[in-house]
Amino acid sequence: MSTSPADGAVLPAGRLRQLAPVVLLPALSIAVLLGLWELAPRAGWVRETSIPPFSDVIGEVFDVLSRPGFTTNLASSAERWALGLLIAIAVGVPLGVLMGRWRPLYRLVDPLLVVSYPVPKTALILLFVLWWGAGTVSRVGIVITGCMIPIVISSYHGANAVEERLVWSARGLGTGALSRGVRVILPAALPQILSGLRLAIAISIFTVLGSELLIRGDGIGAYMFTALDNGQTLTVFAMSTIVATIGFLLDLIYVQAVRRGLPWLEGEV
Amino acid sequence: MMPFPGDVVEPAPGSESSGMPKIRATGVRKQFTSRRGPVLAIDRIDFVAEPGEFISIVGPSGCGKSTFLYILGGFIAASSGDVRVDDVPVKGADPNRGIVFQEFVLFPWKTVLGNVTYGLARQGVPRHERKERARELIDTVKLTGFEKHYPKELSGGMKQRVALARTLIMDPDVLLMDEPFGAIDAQTRVVLQAELLQIWERTTKTVVFVTHSVEEALYLSDKVYVLSHRPARVREILDVDLPRPRDPEAILGTPEYVRLHKRIWALLQEERGKDVDEPG
Repeated sequence: MSTSPADGAVLPAGRLRQLAPVVLLPALSIAVLLGLWELAPRAGWVRETSIPPFSDVIGEVFDVLSRPGFTTNLASSAERWALGLLIAIAVGVPLGVLMGRWRPLYRLVDPLLVVSYPVPKTALILLFVLWWGAGTVSRVGIVITGCMIPIVISSYHGANAVEERLVWSARGLGTGALSRGVRVILPAALPQILSGLRLAIAISIFTVLGSELLIRGDGIGAYMFTALDNGQTLTVFAMSTIVATIGFLLDLIYVQAVRRGLPWLEGEV
Repeated sequence: MMPFPGDVVEPAPGSESSGMPKIRATGVRKQFTSRRGPVLAIDRIDFVAEPGEFISIVGPSGCGKSTFLYILGGFIAASSGDVRVDDVPVKGADPNRGIVFQEFVLFPWKTVLGNVTYGLARQGVPRHERKERARELIDTVKLTGFEKHYPKELSGGMKQRVALARTLIMDPDVLLMDEPFGAIDAQTRVVLQAELLQIWERTTKTVVFVTHSVEEALYLSDKVYVLSHRPARVREILDVDLPRPRDPEAILGTPEYVRLHKRIWALLQEERGKDVDEPG
């Protein structure tokens, strides 16, 4: 196809018209939200002690980040989060994969998942405290409980849906039963497992924070509650902003890491 | 020309001279259990393949011809009957009986090279030797330059070439093919058929080829098994007496081709007519 100079001049404008709804409209809604957040307290529509202006919150974010108390509490939250998530993966993935390949185990475990699925996991923290006290066991336990279900269910579905002919191909090429589990079933189920894991990451942040807000002690949730008790609305807003940003970044990093680490993957996690 | 694994250098002593068939299946039955009760898929099939023979199996859709192939491969067990390869009863899958499926079932997490070398790695063949043999096979299926590509980056025809190389690298005596070119566009199919024949002629493997294409069966095979509507029985066995090497276009007008084509077509029409509960 030949392109005349006139076409060349028209093309960027056309592309712009295509891009406008994709880029500009979402940017617009964000801008309106932030604008209202800034304007409402400044114009006196809401009290600054209820909603401080956006620009003040951003300023406070940097101040909070430099406080040693904040980083210590963040570290202990991160520790519980990572430990809980790792244990949930170490137990949940093998369990789900085995359920997907061995029907009796599925029949055994599935009713427990069905029953526990609608239970709000953060509510269980009070029982955990009753049984094990307000220490690490309860706090890590609630994270494990929270992310176990999406990890087990996605691993089950992934392993259950592995194309039978793929397993046969491996059999035909001399792969034994145990070896097939690791060399074929697990990687074939990986795309679904990774989707479940993405969900589990979001849930685990939520549960670790929720448990700290409920049982206090230390951790970022408890630190936030203390700020609220002291009437430091601005600090509460700043910390919420930080936590939300951490959650957002973790998800972004996770998706990017999967995309780069597994170039064979089709589609998104 | 590169040496090819399985090239016959001298007449093989032993089995071939003794006149023992490569594959012998006797009275194979297969019954599945469905929600509505037992379904008979295969009803006493007898099947013989001599060493180096190219045999096609045709039959109406859903008649159980693939199921029979899976039984030969040892992927599923027959309900009754006897299946022997080299007079040894088939018990489970074996790299000596390679299989290629219609769906392009490559390992998506492995590159072309990784897929092709997979079977050798399971046998503990050292890495550099695996790579060397894989390069030959990848050259045979004309995919040199694509070693580092993942399956998602390949076309259907290329994926099937990889699947073929992955199976051939094990140098199986028996090659089982389950409508391998069924999901490939017509132009690529012709090329792949010709390449398969070349490989077969060089390596004298015994091939069992399931297809629903009469033209494909006649172009490729020494013998065609026509199966009946479900439950599958052998309707007729036809020898394809066309000289080799065959030209896919030149054979079309020969009296032998026309006669066989008419006969198989008529048999299939009859069997399709029995298909009342499952049209298409």
